[in-house]
Parts: sequence; structure tokens; C-alpha cells
Amino acid sequence: MVENDSASKMHVDAPMLEWHDLTVAYGRRPVLWNVDFEIPKPCLFGIIGPNGAGKSTLLKASLDLVQRAGGSVRFWGQPLAQVRSRIAYVPQRETVDWDFPVTVMDVVRMGATSKLGWFQRGGKRERELALSSLDRVGLADCSNRQIGKLSGGQQQRVFLARALAREAEIYLLDEPMAGVDAGSQEQIFNILVNLRDQGKLIVAVHHDIRTAVEWFDAVALIDMRLVAAGPTAEILTPENLAMTYSGRLSVLDEIGEAVERGGRTS
Amino acid sequence: MIHMTALAAFIPYNTLVVAAGVAAVGCAAGVIGTFGVLRKRALVGDAAAHATLVGVASALLLTGQRDLAILLVGGLISAMVAIAFLVLIRKFTRTRDDAAIAIVLSVSFGIGITFISGMVSRGIPGSGGLERFLLGHTASLTAHDATLLGAVSAISVLCVVVGLKEATMVAFDPDFATAAGWPAATIDFVLVALVAVMVVVGLPAAGAVLVTALVVIPPAVARQWTERIVPMLVIAGAVGLISALSGVMISSLAVQLPTGPIVVLVATSFLIFSVFLAPCRGIVWRTRSACVFPSDSYDGNDTGTTADTVTERKS
Repeated sequence: MVENDSASKMHVDAPMLEWHDLTVAYGRRPVLWNVDFEIPKPCLFGIIGPNGAGKSTLLKASLDLVQRAGGSVRFWGQPLAQVRSRIAYVPQRETVDWDFPVTVMDVVRMGATSKLGWFQRGGKRERELALSSLDRVGLADCSNRQIGKLSGGQQQRVFLARALAREAEIYLLDEPMAGVDAGSQEQIFNILVNLRDQGKLIVAVHHDIRTAVEWFDAVALIDMRLVAAGPTAEILTPENLAMTYSGRLSVLDEIGEAVERGGRTS
Repeated sequence: MIHMTALAAFIPYNTLVVAAGVAAVGCAAGVIGTFGVLRKRALVGDAAAHATLVGVASALLLTGQRDLAILLVGGLISAMVAIAFLVLIRKFTRTRDDAAIAIVLSVSFGIGITFISGMVSRGIPGSGGLERFLLGHTASLTAHDATLLGAVSAISVLCVVVGLKEATMVAFDPDFATAAGWPAATIDFVLVALVAVMVVVGLPAAGAVLVTALVVIPPAVARQWTERIVPMLVIAGAVGLISALSGVMISSLAVQLPTGPIVVLVATSFLIFSVFLAPCRGIVWRTRSACVFPSDSYDGNDTGTTADTVTERKS
């Protein structure tokens, strides 16, 4: 749809997204240690790990939302500041107040107007961009509804539409499937697959191994450090999962089962 | 127009200007307060309001002048210092937010009261009547004072009108705004600073103890009537204006009456009315469940997810 080669012209060899020795600490408590991997090409990429593993922190540290204690993040070989307009972030759904007095359309328009300069409200172009983004997530009919009057899955799609309205090339999503039922999950995954097929990179924090096997091209297993990263089938092995979820034995059996089932279907 | 001139013939010029100035303050407080409330900063505003007394008293003590502008600048400085303390407590201690606010509020108010009563009892020149900043007293305002209050209010409203996109984006989702390259923390600071400005210019109208009501109640009323931000700003401004104006009018009839309590009572009556009777959000409507949103295409496969949200928290 849109040419996305403008980036790679300058840094032909640079991977789309790379982390070098990323370390983050909240106070004195380390959350991420020396995370070091890269995503060379557009794909649907999952960041998988147990609760408290630092998955969300990895995204936030990449976007300068939390301070890095060390290491660096590069987008197309460049620091974030130079490529912000080509990146979109989808925060966790429960981080905002859904009783806020804005409509679905207002929120999605924020995605379009966030690329404009100071005090520029946007006009017809931004409106149309917002409408087409809403259409892509199947919410065009709800555009005038207050955002609190949507279901969890619809709210998640509103967030996704806001990111789409930024017309970005890299999408970083924090738990896009949290609190979303199976039907909506499939709907959202289909939108993400569609994006990938247009040459975008989608990085999503995810917690469910079963659906991860089914949908992601590649994954990174995180448990405060990087356990493994690479193509989904190679990485989501019982050994790697055991390492990632070590000490959390109750979930281990469940995961093993899920991997087996996922492995059979794919 | 005929009414205006007829009014002007009966009401002294000074009273009219004061009424207009205080009405502007009420309107601006409602508009600015909308973002304060949406950003859940009502209590921060309250702490800042209580802290203004120290600054007002200190300004008088240091300059020896009883000029409203100087006193209010003093109030603004101490309000900002109080907010700075809140930030520091949050950053360097494990005190919870609500406790931090209560601490800053009570300590700064205690210091302020000590200052004022000490100055009054020692008969420091100009200190007489400082206690009017406690509950508001518009009857003692001059036309000059009111013009100043009105001008500051107008500028504050202008800031919000010009920066509406930025303010809304940051108030709704600061993380998204930051990731998109907007200086969310700075915009947030400007919004908090504007709330501080409003509690300061609201001092003559409602006093340190009650001025928060002027910033908090009109937005609460407005939220009952609308689901959009611009109408909310307009309604909050109108409710603030009417409340402040009623305060001036009623207290001008009885000179001994402080303005603050009247302003609060008028605003509260709006609130009670709205909480019960506003369409959709009003209690009466909700209990009759009359407000279904018809003809909206609600996906069948998207059921309520509160239960899921509770079990699946962030990692």
C-alpha cells in the first residue's frame, strides 16, 4: 500500500529493530538484564514470558517511557528520536480512563493529529485517515460512541485504529489480547497479519503460548533476561519454556500441553 | 442591552466590574478544572489552594504592600512550592499519593494560618483582613483588582483553547503522547500550573479553603451532561460563571457574608440536580435503565470482559 523503503535507503543493512545490552531497573530492583537481540525484517513478532518478566518494560524502555539503566535500542539503525513518526505504540488497555469524555472517532483522530505540529488540529485528511483506520478494525459504525460504551475487544481495536492512523511502519503493542475473548482475538490477529503482509513490523507483548504458536512468525522468550529469540517453531520448545517459566511449575504442565496441541495444528 | 444599561444605572460601577471579573474567574476555573479533574488532579489542586495562604502572608510581610497582584503572586509561588513538594515526596519516599497530598495540604495550611494569625495579632500593617483569603470576600475587591483577575482568567482559558489538542491527548493517554514524541510531562506540568493559577485567582472569590470547589464541581456537573470534551468545557465554564456570579451578587447584599460558601452552595445545587436528573448518567435515568444506546452495532462476539481484565494483569 505505502512504500516503506524510505528508511532502508540510508541504512540498508541495519535491522528494523534491535536491542543492545538493554538493562532497566526500577529503583534498585533490576527488571531487565542485558537484553540483546534483533528483528531484521517485517514480521509478526511476539514477546512472551511470565508475569513480571519485564515484557511491557521492554517496550516502554524502547520508547523512552521508562529510563534505561544501560544499553541501547535502534530502529533501522537509528535512535528513536529520529524515527518517531514511523513508529506507533499501543499501550495496555487499562492504563487509560475509559470514562474519558471522548468518542471512538476522537481517539482515533488523535493518532492522525499526533503527527501534526503544535496546535494543528488537523482537517479533512486526518478525519478520513481516522475513518479508514476505523474501517480496517471493523468499528466504522461505532465512531460516535463514547469509548466507555465499548466491549474490551472493541476498546482494544480502537487503540489499534489510533495506531493505524499514525501510518507507522513499526507497531509496538502491549498486551493487545488482554481481556479480549477468543473471537475478538482472532479478529485482532487478522488485522495484525494484514499489517505484516503490507510490510510492517508488529511487535506484541503476549502471554498465551497456544495462540502465540498459532500466529507469531517469530518470538522472544523473556524472563528478566532474554531466554531465546527466533522463529516461533524453533524457540517455543519445552526446554526453552521450562527455562522461561522456571519456578512457576504450576503453569508448566499447561504450557507443555499447549505447545503440543499448537504444534499439531500448525 | 436595555437591561444592561438599566442595571448599570442602579448598580455602582465598581460592583459591576467586580461581578464581571469574578464571573470570568468562575468561568475559567470551570474550564481549567475540567482538565484537572480528567487528569485526576482535584486533590492536588486542593493542596495547592491551602498552600496559597503562606505565600499571601509572606508577600505582605516581605513587600509591606497590600496590593492584590503582589499577594496573589506570593500565593502562586507557595502553591507551586507545595506541588513541588508533592512531586518530591512521590519520588523519594514510599508515602502514598493520598497521604502525601494530605500531608502537604495540612502542613502548608497550618503554616499559613500561623503566619496570618501571628501577623494580625502583632498588628503588622495591612494584615487586617488577611483572613478574608480564607473564605473569600469579593465585597472588598476594587475594580482594578477585578480587572486583573479577569485578565488572568482570560489568558488561562486562551491557553487551553489554543492547546486543546495537546491537552486532550496528554490528559487521555500520556504514554501514547510521549511515544509519539510529545513532551507529555511538560504539557502535564502546564495543566497543573494552570490549576494552581486558577486556585490563586479564585482566592478572593472563594478563599483558600473552598476555592477547589470552583475548580472541581463545575466539571463534575458538566460530565453528567455530555460525553464530549468541548461541550464539557463549555458547560463547566458556564456553571462556574453562574456560581461565581451568584456568590458576588448574594454576598454584596449582606456585607458580612463571605463569598466562598455561597459559590460552593450554588455550584453544589447544580451538581445535585445533575447527579439525579442528567440524561443517561443521572441516578433517576439509571435506575429506570431508560438509557440504552440504540441502533449501535454491537458485535455479538464481543462480550463484557471485566472478569478477564481482573485476572490478566500487566506483566
